[in-house]
Amino acid sequence: MRRKVMVLLLIVLALFSLTGLAADKKLTVISGWSGQEMDAFMPVLREFEKETGIRVDYQIYRAEDLAVLLPAQFDSKTAPADVIFMWAWFVNKQAQNGHVLEMTGLLNESDFVPGILDAVKSGGKLWGGPYTGKIKPGFWYRKSFFKQHGLAVPTTWDEFVDLCARIKKIPGVRAPIASGNGVGWPLSDVTEHFIATFGGPAMTRDLIAGKMSWTDPKVRAVFENRLVPLLKAGYFSEPIEWTMAADLWWAGDYALYFMGSWITGMVKDPADLGVFTLPGARGLVFATDYAFVPAYTKYPAEARKLLAFLATRGQTLQVAAGGHIATYAGAPLDAYPAVDRGIAALLKGVEALPDLDDTIGGEWQPAFWDQLKLLWVSPARVGEVLETLQRKAGK
Amino acid sequence: MRTLRGRALFFVPALALLAVFVVYPVVNTVWLSFFTSDGEFALLGKYAAILSQPEMFDSRGFVRGFPYGALVHNVMWIVIHLPLTAGLGLALAVILREIKGGAIVKSIVFLGMVTPMVVGGVILRFLFDGNVGILPSLLSLIGLPRRTLTAYPDTALFSLIIGSLWLWTPFSMILYSAGLETIPDYVYEAAVIDGASAVRAFFAITVPMLRPVTSVVITMTFLWVLKIFDIVYVATMGGPGGASNVLALQMYMYAFREFDANSAAVVATLLMLVALAVSIPTFRSVRGEQQ
Amino acid sequence: MRGTSIFARRKSSTVALYVAAGLAALIWLIPFMGVFMASIRPLSEISRGWWKFEQFNPTLRNYAGAWNHPAAPLGKGMLNSLRVAVPATILPLAIASIAAYGFARFRFRLRDLLFMSVVALMTLPQQMIAVPIYRIMRGLGAVDSFAGLVLVHAAWGLPWIMYFMRNYFTTVPIEVEEAAKVDGASDLRVFLQIVMPMSLPAVASAAVLQFMWVWSDFFLALILVYSPDRLLATQRVPLLRGVYHVDWGVLSAGSIIVMAVPIMVFALMQRYYIRGMVGWTSK
Repeated sequence: MRRKVMVLLLIVLALFSLTGLAADKKLTVISGWSGQEMDAFMPVLREFEKETGIRVDYQIYRAEDLAVLLPAQFDSKTAPADVIFMWAWFVNKQAQNGHVLEMTGLLNESDFVPGILDAVKSGGKLWGGPYTGKIKPGFWYRKSFFKQHGLAVPTTWDEFVDLCARIKKIPGVRAPIASGNGVGWPLSDVTEHFIATFGGPAMTRDLIAGKMSWTDPKVRAVFENRLVPLLKAGYFSEPIEWTMAADLWWAGDYALYFMGSWITGMVKDPADLGVFTLPGARGLVFATDYAFVPAYTKYPAEARKLLAFLATRGQTLQVAAGGHIATYAGAPLDAYPAVDRGIAALLKGVEALPDLDDTIGGEWQPAFWDQLKLLWVSPARVGEVLETLQRKAGK
Repeated sequence: MRTLRGRALFFVPALALLAVFVVYPVVNTVWLSFFTSDGEFALLGKYAAILSQPEMFDSRGFVRGFPYGALVHNVMWIVIHLPLTAGLGLALAVILREIKGGAIVKSIVFLGMVTPMVVGGVILRFLFDGNVGILPSLLSLIGLPRRTLTAYPDTALFSLIIGSLWLWTPFSMILYSAGLETIPDYVYEAAVIDGASAVRAFFAITVPMLRPVTSVVITMTFLWVLKIFDIVYVATMGGPGGASNVLALQMYMYAFREFDANSAAVVATLLMLVALAVSIPTFRSVRGEQQ
Repeated sequence: MRGTSIFARRKSSTVALYVAAGLAALIWLIPFMGVFMASIRPLSEISRGWWKFEQFNPTLRNYAGAWNHPAAPLGKGMLNSLRVAVPATILPLAIASIAAYGFARFRFRLRDLLFMSVVALMTLPQQMIAVPIYRIMRGLGAVDSFAGLVLVHAAWGLPWIMYFMRNYFTTVPIEVEEAAKVDGASDLRVFLQIVMPMSLPAVASAAVLQFMWVWSDFFLALILVYSPDRLLATQRVPLLRGVYHVDWGVLSAGSIIVMAVPIMVFALMQRYYIRGMVGWTSK
């Protein structure tokens, strides 16, 4: 019996050695886009395949999970893909440890929105390439909904609060503003909008740089005087899984939804969409996606080609799908669908800000999301939330 | 061969595997817990530092409510879960024994045990969701607001505890079922002759005779609750604001999010010490057997 | 055994018992139903509650989506889980049974102490070995390999299987073995040809339990395996929530697929599973 067991074991162990079959040249791209977002991305990859003849595989992996897995893989000098989309701070950090293939000279700075490459530059070298970005412009609404209930876009803070109060009274509406949730980032987007509007772009930048404390009275003022009263009045819904929230908002359970510009690619009737910023907004978050090539890729030359393609021609192709704004200056305006041209216009006259939690990153980011989830359901705890945020930022 | 060497070979593969993959890591973890991340020897210094972290113990909780810290959350989990799982398991074992079709219901109840904990987390997330889940709707029937119970600090942990009851009570039920089978008929027959009712017999005979089973149920449940990780990871990730954090999750956070192996080792060692303490009755009974 | 049914019972008590049993069945079915509904119905139908049946358009689309999901194809995940669970059941069973026999039958000075240590190992949480195991595997170059995960699961299963099998062996009457030994058989032959065949029910129970536990494991897999195509079924479930897009339908279908294997194993081997649970913990 023992011999049979041994033979069985040997067979099983032999099966293991069959892993890692040699493959012909094939690049793998990893990003977190799935569902509709992925469907919008695939044509860009197919175009690269057509033009260069190099096969490209796509795999989905959430950034939060990559943040845990990649360092471990890099330690063992392996990488799961040849081009990986990740937060800019992460790219820089890995570059510091020598895990990233240097890209200096691959891209021409003047081809892009000014300053956009800075996020993936460190030590005077370029470590990644930019892709399209998304603006988080403000509160989206259905024009038909507003028309039906005789509502108007607010131009002052008081009008905004008024609007919320009016919407709350409409029968069938559960709350004026739908709060999207996921791992937490839709909440952070709204919060950053409030900070940029009432604290100003300078506050956003100072918080990112760690120059301002979260417990600073000016920061507290933004929270306590603007965000918390709305939460306490029940104008925000409790956090709902954000794609479900989008469905419910579209169906009329909620009137306003703070979301990024990618929502234009997600609704059935983009022509019915309207958006307004918080009155007085001085800065808008323009969140760019960045990609890098790990140093352990098996096909460095091809990977660089792909990265360059994505950063330039890829962007022009991508914006046609809607919901993306190009950081590549070479993408013409008519490459955009009509709705998005309007979004790009929103950026005029206000400062383009980096996404706060994506830029700070590290363990502070999930802590930020977690604390906001708490704030949303227990707005009275704002003081403690800010203290915790500051404590974690100091680590 | 009946030689000594021949006999020793019976143990070698097992002990070798254990030594490398279990014993050495355990010792290594305890060792790590005595050092700070800079490599300085601190003996219990790290323990003091960790235990004073709000993630582990948050005294503000006693003033404003959840979170109380992972340590307190685990204690709460045990205090609530243990008696309920033992009581429910026993009740189910007794009830399902008495009726026709009890075996079928037992198999249904078993769904809880057979479910991988990760899936359990998904089920819980669903069950308590304000929009899709059934529990908030049921609660709204008795006047409570309909909301996602896992999103609020004061209900997140309790929701998970109830969920864990759903997963683990089948275990208690089978053990009690088996135990009930071992009570001989004549004991009950004597009770009937004495004029006792079914209820009295239950408390005066059944429960005391099942004490060894109860002791096993308590020990195993305690050990299981200490290690809970999967459900929390999937359902709430310890949130909101750490209100459903548990020791096993916190250990994971230290080890694989903050890359702080020493803090993780402290939490793991604490878990181990409690596990060993709880298992003392088991050790005693094993030693009793051996003699 | 008639147990407490010896007592006379009022009709109302019988009714109460059936109601209680029915309640129990409902309580254990309903959570499962929620997920099941989400897996076969489009999200828009259930976004206000799955028990609303005004619109009912069942579809198997979510199952196909979960099976072939680009980020976390469950088909591959199940295969990977099998590749780990099967060896991780066979290996420790073989090794532990041999050692357990030694603990049951041989007498030597350190025996009791050694056995107690093994029992102690049984109580430890997996967290105790997480970080060092990761480092060991890294040193061996076995991170992200199935072989490494199998070894860890095998080692982790050894203590409880040894405890279980040893308890079982002590209940096997020793006369047959002694007779064989008088005839000149070696310890090994006695074990393999006499004791093991008699112990198949216990082996079956231990195998079922170990298989279910390895299949359901998440923590060790989370630490040791991360290439997207190597992920096990349990790991893929949380991943079915995409970054930006959570498809509850696909997530539920995925959960049910992952659950299907333990349920099938349980359905086929229920008796062994139960005997295993009871036997492992009591006597």
